[in-house]
Amino acid sequence: MSQAGNNLNRRQFLKSSAIAVGAMAAVGAGVGYLQKVTAETRINQDFLRPPGALPEADFIYGCIKCGLCVQICPVQAIKLAGIKEGLAYGTPYIDVRAQACDFSCDSIQCVETCPTAVLYFKQFKRAGEKAIAEYDKLHGQDKNYNPFPVQIQAMKSIVKMGFAKINESTCLAYQGKGFKGTPRGKDFKGINRSPYTGEPKATPVSEKVYDEKICNLCVKECPIGETAIIMEDTTSGGGKIVPKVLKGCTGCGVCVMVCPTEEPSIIVEPVKS
Amino acid sequence: MFGKKNKTPLPPKSREEMPFAKMGLTLKEWRNEHKNKHKWRTIRWSVLIGMNLLFVISFILDLALLEGSLSGSRFMGLYLMDPFNSFQVLIISFMTGHWKYLTMNFVIGFFTIFLFYFFAGGRTYCSWICPYHFLAEWGEKLHNYLVKKKKIKEHTFNIYLRFVFWGGFLILALVTKNLVFENLNPIGILSRAMIYGPGLILLWIFALIIFEIVYSKRFWCRYICPVGATWSLVGKGTPLAIKFELDKCAHCLDCQQVCLVPHELWFVKKGAATKEIHHAGSDCTRCGLCVDVCPGDALSYTIKGWDKIL
Repeated sequence: MSQAGNNLNRRQFLKSSAIAVGAMAAVGAGVGYLQKVTAETRINQDFLRPPGALPEADFIYGCIKCGLCVQICPVQAIKLAGIKEGLAYGTPYIDVRAQACDFSCDSIQCVETCPTAVLYFKQFKRAGEKAIAEYDKLHGQDKNYNPFPVQIQAMKSIVKMGFAKINESTCLAYQGKGFKGTPRGKDFKGINRSPYTGEPKATPVSEKVYDEKICNLCVKECPIGETAIIMEDTTSGGGKIVPKVLKGCTGCGVCVMVCPTEEPSIIVEPVKS
Repeated sequence: MFGKKNKTPLPPKSREEMPFAKMGLTLKEWRNEHKNKHKWRTIRWSVLIGMNLLFVISFILDLALLEGSLSGSRFMGLYLMDPFNSFQVLIISFMTGHWKYLTMNFVIGFFTIFLFYFFAGGRTYCSWICPYHFLAEWGEKLHNYLVKKKKIKEHTFNIYLRFVFWGGFLILALVTKNLVFENLNPIGILSRAMIYGPGLILLWIFALIIFEIVYSKRFWCRYICPVGATWSLVGKGTPLAIKFELDKCAHCLDCQQVCLVPHELWFVKKGAATKEIHHAGSDCTRCGLCVDVCPGDALSYTIKGWDKIL
């Protein structure tokens, strides 16, 4: 190639490089802006991150949007966000009103499957191992030795997706009302594994029929149990028998999914980082 | 610039030495005699569609065959990571201290894919797996048609622009602590759209294709895509390559017409070749279009050093 041709080539390259750098700077500025805007407002939005998610600011950078957590979830609670979530586009979230995380996988496998560890598994692993060690001390010689229930209980009880909050003005129990029938209607597609039936797999909410004198669906269906939510008898103080959220709440959202009122009387607020 | 080949070329062949002259034909007759059966294109498209379908099927039927998407996946339990994504994650995680948390699966996925494409040939990924490549091929056809009809003009840029973008996006990741490129990456977007359902972001893909059709042929793949740039770095020194044999070539340049990266076929021009046998370089996607189109079978797939082993 001639010297002149080489020079022309170089000039063209430098020119297009300058445009490229400009374009990328624009994209970067846009991303920076979106990050600033959405990081503040996202907390108020109605979605949760899957179990074990790092704080939001750390979560977005590490999530490569592969969707492995979506694929492994047996109840399909995890979905990928669309373009409306701004920078969170393509990242996993849980809409608990449509389908909550009911821990029926029994292993928190969405966390274990995450290759970049923005769903961070080690804390669960440690909690599980600790529980097994304690179980070994007590029941190591037992005939029906089975540490897995305590392991999964320990693992799921340290999940912190959010914290449930009861809306006292609409909650049926706060008005002294009971509930009869199926909570979300026959067409509702959500599924969960009811802890009181001992069923091995999640079953459709639309097939569940209740007949409660005081509505206690949130307490009945809670996969964590009495460390997360209980029915509190406040009749001695002039109150009613009402659900009360305790510190053990993981924010899994099964209570939100099964809440029979038109607008859920219990919501999960995402953890603030 | 960028290490031009400075070796002295072989003297050009005389007319009698041309392959068509040996067969007693003219160049035109010789080219017309070759029927392009699109053998490699059929194979390649089958693989491309098959692999992408495998993702979809694995998700729909809940099989553990090929889970995830093209940004990160698990093939029968073995993790595979997109290398440019991994670079960004690594860079950001070293900045924030997150690297301590990175899983063994991440490391395994990162190295497995490197190893595989080191042998299979870097940018092989582009033409054999990438769903955007498939769309862009059709866009290219339309573009060529419009150029032929003189409706639009062809615009070309410097192919090393890719490396400017490559570095640029890594720096952007560092500055914003965000996987900026993954928000624009048509591979990931298309892959997720196929597996998890489409979204509004597909408008971006649409805009890209339109731009490629009306302005510059294969704009994204040739001048921007940092994933492709990563693969071409991985593919340096790959054994699987396109082999060129000078004595079978009549310099008709049909191969450069169909090639995504014509600069890698620099040796097919009359008087350009410096050796009897050349191999296409690391930008080559091993798509096989040139193998299909060549009237004299001067271009073929080969594994470098294979004959020595045998």
